Amino acid sequence: HILVSPHTCFLLFVFLLVMSLLPLCNVTGVGELPVPRGLTLSPDFPAQTLSLTWQSDSSLFDLEIFHTELMNVVLNETVAVKADPVTGLHSWTWHSPLPLECTSHSARIRARNQQSVSQWNPLQTIPGSDIPEKSESFMFPQDKVVPVGSNMTFCCIVKEKDDFIEMMYGRQEMSATRLSRRTYAITVTNQPASGNTGTNVICCSQRLTLTGAVVFVGYPPGDEGLVCETRDLASAECSWKKGRDTRFRMKRSRTKYTLNGRDCLEANERRTWWCSSKVWEESWTLVARNPLGTVQLTDSAQLTDRVHLLAPVNVTAVEVEAWSATLQWSWSVAAYKKLEMVCQLQLFAHELSSTRNYSGPGLSSVVLESLWPDVDYTMTLRCGSKHSFWKWGNESAPYRIHTKMDRPDALDVWIWMDSSNTGRVFWKPLSVRKSHGALAGYEVSQSSAEEDGRTPVSLPPGNFSYPIILNNSSDITVAVAARNPAGLSQPSTVTTPAYRADSQLSVSELLGTNGSFVLSWQPNVNASSGYAVEWVPTGCSGLCPVDWKKVPESDCSFTVNSDSLVAGVRYTVSVYSLSTGAPTLLQRWQGYSQEMIPSQSVSKLSPSQTGSDVLLSWKATAMEHQRGFIRGYTVYLANAAHLDLIANISDPEVQSYRVKGLSPSFYKFVVKAYTSAGEDAGSTVDIKIEMDTADMLFVGILVPLGIMFCCLILISICCYKKREWVKKAFYPEIPGPKVPGDWSSPQGPLDVKPSPHSLVHIVENPERDFTKEGLFPVPEEEEESENDNIEVDTDSDEPALLRYYNHVVGDGSHSNQVSDSSGSSTASVGSTQTEITYAGIQSPTSSQGACGGGGYRPQMQSVAGPAEPQIEFEADFQDDGLNTGYKPQCSWQLDSPEAENFSGSLGSPTSVTSSQFLIPESSEEQPQPSNTWFHNFLSGKS
Amino acid sequence: MEGAAHSDTPGTERPAADRAAALARLLHRDCTRLLELYVSTTAVIHASVTTLLLSITAPPPPQKERESFLSQHAPGGERLVTLALCPEALSTGEQVGHVRSALRRCMGLLECLIVREVEEMGEELEGEYESLRKTVRDRLGHLLHSTGALLEEGEGGCPPSPPLQCTEDEVEASGSFAAKIWTYRVLQELIHWTDSASQTLHLFHSEKHGQQQQQQLL
Repeated sequence: HILVSPHTCFLLFVFLLVMSLLPLCNVTGVGELPVPRGLTLSPDFPAQTLSLTWQSDSSLFDLEIFHTELMNVVLNETVAVKADPVTGLHSWTWHSPLPLECTSHSARIRARNQQSVSQWNPLQTIPGSDIPEKSESFMFPQDKVVPVGSNMTFCCIVKEKDDFIEMMYGRQEMSATRLSRRTYAITVTNQPASGNTGTNVICCSQRLTLTGAVVFVGYPPGDEGLVCETRDLASAECSWKKGRDTRFRMKRSRTKYTLNGRDCLEANERRTWWCSSKVWEESWTLVARNPLGTVQLTDSAQLTDRVHLLAPVNVTAVEVEAWSATLQWSWSVAAYKKLEMVCQLQLFAHELSSTRNYSGPGLSSVVLESLWPDVDYTMTLRCGSKHSFWKWGNESAPYRIHTKMDRPDALDVWIWMDSSNTGRVFWKPLSVRKSHGALAGYEVSQSSAEEDGRTPVSLPPGNFSYPIILNNSSDITVAVAARNPAGLSQPSTVTTPAYRADSQLSVSELLGTNGSFVLSWQPNVNASSGYAVEWVPTGCSGLCPVDWKKVPESDCSFTVNSDSLVAGVRYTVSVYSLSTGAPTLLQRWQGYSQEMIPSQSVSKLSPSQTGSDVLLSWKATAMEHQRGFIRGYTVYLANAAHLDLIANISDPEVQSYRVKGLSPSFYKFVVKAYTSAGEDAGSTVDIKIEMDTADMLFVGILVPLGIMFCCLILISICCYKKREWVKKAFYPEIPGPKVPGDWSSPQGPLDVKPSPHSLVHIVENPERDFTKEGLFPVPEEEEESENDNIEVDTDSDEPALLRYYNHVVGDGSHSNQVSDSSGSSTASVGSTQTEITYAGIQSPTSSQGACGGGGYRPQMQSVAGPAEPQIEFEADFQDDGLNTGYKPQCSWQLDSPEAENFSGSLGSPTSVTSSQFLIPESSEEQPQPSNTWFHNFLSGKS
Repeated sequence: MEGAAHSDTPGTERPAADRAAALARLLHRDCTRLLELYVSTTAVIHASVTTLLLSITAPPPPQKERESFLSQHAPGGERLVTLALCPEALSTGEQVGHVRSALRRCMGLLECLIVREVEEMGEELEGEYESLRKTVRDRLGHLLHSTGALLEEGEGGCPPSPPLQCTEDEVEASGSFAAKIWTYRVLQELIHWTDSASQTLHLFHSEKHGQQQQQQLL
C-alpha cells in the first residue's frame, strides 16, 4: 500500500505534516481521550462499501474519508459506534457513491466525547485502480444491475500518458468530474430501462483507447397471482402472471423461480410462467428473484377444489336420427371415471346454436334431444368437477354430425281473387327449420262442391303460387303440400273467398305509421279460425306480390311491418274472417306505408287564352306514379329565377285554374301536384298573351287620331280665345301715317295695280327686277294705300308674313324663299316702302345679306354709293355660289346687335327715310293674292 | 446467389476452386452484413420513433438496438487471427492453405461467440442477427470443407491449427463491455479472412484453369 508517485508522495507529506501539527495546537483540550487504535479498511468493491474497524474505549467518533490523491473530503461525520462485546472492535460501514476502484480512498478516525476529541489516528488508505502500477485504462463499475430511476456514478481511468476526452452514457455525452490524475467520473440520474444488452457507458481518450462498461437498468420481479391446480387428480401445476417486464434479457439478471424451494425448470429454462409438482401440496410458495429484488407468492387449496379436467378424447356420434343423436367419448385419465362431473356441449349450426349441460360420474356419453332434421351440427365438449367446481376443463376437438331428414311442416296458404272468377293461391316458402330437408316441390289440388278430387298438380320448389279459375259460381277449395325426400307434408287448404272490387266497398284511407300499417277491426263472431290480413299493391294485376298474415281469433289488431312494404306504393289491405268455409271480407283499406313525392308531374297541362285570362288545365298523373295521396295542386308563374305561387288548389279533384288579368306578354306556368311528402317536379307550359284585333285597332289608330284631333281643337279654341293676343303678337295694328292734305284721291299713274298674274310673273322672273326701271302695275286692292305712299295696308305686309309662316310650318315654298333670299339685296334695292317698313320681316332678308356682307345696312347701301356694295356683293355672290340654297338658320340667327334689335322688334314698323325704297317695286314682293286661311285667321278676318 | 448462378451453367461442370471462391465471396458479404447488424443504428432509430409514438399512452418498450457505439468508436487493438501458424506462403496453393488455417481459427472464434451469446441471451432471441450468425457458421463450415478438399488434391498446406477452447482468456475479459468489443473484433476477423479467402481462391482457380488449358494445348 505504498504510493510511489512523486506527486502523491508530496501530497501525502503535506497532509501528514498538517495532521501532525494540529494536535500540538490543541494539546490542552485533547490530552485525555485516547486515539482509536488499529483502524483497518475493508473494501467491498462490488457493493461499493468500505468497512472500518478499530479499537477504542469511546463510543463516539469523528470519521473522515478522503479521495487520497487530491485529498477531497468525501465524508466527515460523527458516529456513535459501540464496541462488539465479543471482539471489542468497533465496526462501521460506509457506502460509497463512487466505485472504490476509481481512486484511492483514505480514512482516519478520532474519539470524541462531549467536551473533547482525541487525536486522529494515522491515515489508512486503500488504493484505487488509478495508481501508477495499473497503467491500463479502466471503467467502473462493470455490469452493474440497478433499478430504473436510480442514480449512478461511473468513473473512467485513462491510460498512463493518455488524455481524457469524454464519457458517454448510451449516446448521451456527459459532463465529467476529475477525481484524480487519471480518473474522471460522471453521475447519471434517473436512469431509464436498458435495452436487451444493457446500456453502454464509454470513455474516449486521446489515444483512441476505447474503455467502457455496461449497466443493466430494469425492475425487480413483478410476478403475481399464483394459482395451483391438478389435471390428473394427483399432481399439481402452478401458474402465475408475469407482471411488469423486468427488462432484463441477459441470463445473469433474469428472474429465477423456485416453487416450494425447488427450482422451477419450466419457468427458468423455457421462460414460461408455470411450474409443475408431482405431488399435490396444500400450500404453495413461489419465489421470484432477480438482482434487484424478490417476490414471494403463495397459494393453498385442497386438491378436489382445484380440479381442471383435461379434454375429452375420441368423441363420436352414434345413432344419429332426424331429431336426436347419441354422443360418446373417453378420458385419458383413468381417475376421471369416478369423478362426479358436469359436461357442457356446445352445438353450432346456422341459426341453431345452443349449449346443453349434462352431469354424472365419469360422464362419457349423452343423448342429444331436440335436434333439427337435415342440419349440420358442430359440437365441442368440455367438463368440470361437479362438486367444488373450479373451472371448465379443456375443450374437445370439434366434432360434426348431420341429422337425417323428415317430412316438411304444413304450408301457410292463402288465396287471392283478382276477379270474380280468377284468383291465385299463394304459399309461403318453408324455412330451414320447417322444410326438414331440401324441398323437392309442391303439390296443388283443388276441389269444389260439384267435382271432388282433382288430380294434384306438382310444381317445382321455386314456385310459390298457382292460378285458380272458377268455372262456375261454387267455391273451390285448394290444398297445397310440400314434398322433400322424406315425404309429403300435411296439406294446407284454403277456400276461394268472394271477390269484392274496391268500388263495391267503402275503402278507408290508411295512413302509415313509421313505415308500417297499424290495423284494428271489430271482432267477428264467425271468425272461428281467426283472421287473415292481406295486403297487395293497389291496382296490381297478374302475378302480384300478395302477402298475408293469419292472426288468431283472439286478436283484432295487426301491424304490417315495414319490411314487407315499399314506400311510395299504395296498398290495399283487407281483413278476412276465417272459418271452415270461405274467408269473408270484413274491412278494406288503401294507404301508403310512407308517402313520397310524385315521381311524375301532372300530364296534359295546357293553357287556353280567353281575352286577358288564361285557363290552365291538366290531368292527374297515374296512380303508380303518385306515390302518395294527391292532396292538391300548386300553380306557379315562372319568372327568371324563381317561381311565384299564384294558386294553391287543395282539392285534388280540381284540375284546372284560370289566371286572370294578364297583360300581353310571354308567360310560363308551372303546375305541381303534392302529397304529404311534398311537391313533384312540376309541369311547365308557355303562353304568349296577345291583344284582340279590335283592341289593336283602337289602340293603334283611333287613339292617336283622337288625341291629335283633340289637340287641334284645343289649339283652335285657344287661339280663338286669345286671338287678340295672337293678333297683337303676330300681326299688330300698324298705325296709319298722318299726312296733311288730302291723299285719299288716287294718283293717276300710281293707281295702276298689277294683276295677280303679273305679280306671279314678276316673282318667277327676278332678273327682270334688277333691270327694271320705272313703275309697275299694282293690284287694285293696294291702290289706295299705294297711292298714299305712307299708309300701309295689311296686304302690303303679306310677303313678309308669308316668309315667316313658311319658316314656321316649313312648307314647300322654299323655292320662293330662296328666290327671295338670293335677291334680297336686289329686293332691298328695288323694294317698296312696305317692304322696308317691317324690320322683323325684312330681317331674314337683311340677315341673309349680313351673312355675306356683314349685316344689314339698307341706308348705307344707298349712301356709300354703288361702288362699295358692288364689291361686297361680288364677294357675297361668290359665297352664295358655294352655298346656294336657302339657309333659314342664317336668316334667324342674327349675328349682329342690330339683328337682335330686329328680333326684339319683330313686326314693329320702322321709319325709314330713304326714298330709294319707296319705289313701288315692292309690288314684286307682294304676296300671292291667294293668301291662305291662316293669314286671314291671324289677321282676325273672317 | 452468385454461386448458384454459376453452377447452373449448362454443359460445364464448375471447378471446385471456382465454387469455393464464390462461396468465399458470399460469405464475405454475409460477414459484412452481420457486422452491420451488430452495430446497426437502424433499429435504434426505429425504436426511438416507436418510443416517441408510444410514450403518450404506454411505457417505452425494450430497446432493440445492438452496439451502435461501435460504429462511432471502433476499437483498435491487435488482430485476433494472425498467420503465425504457417510460414509465409510462396505458392498460391500454399496461400490457400494459409487462409484456410485462418478461417479455421475464425470458425473457432465464431463458435465461441455463438456459445457466449446464447449463454447470455438464451435461445429465444431469433432476429435477423441471430439467423445470419447461424448462416455464417454453416457457410464457413462449407468453405473450410471445400478448401480442405482442394488441398487434399495435392496442394498441401499448413498443419491444422489446434482446436480453440472458449475460455475467458479467449474473450480477453469477462465483462460485458469487453465481450462486445471482442465480438466486434471477431466479426472484423471474419470479414477480413473471408475476403482474403475469396481473393486467394479466385487466384488459385485462375492458375488452375490456365494450367489445364496449357495441358490441353500440349
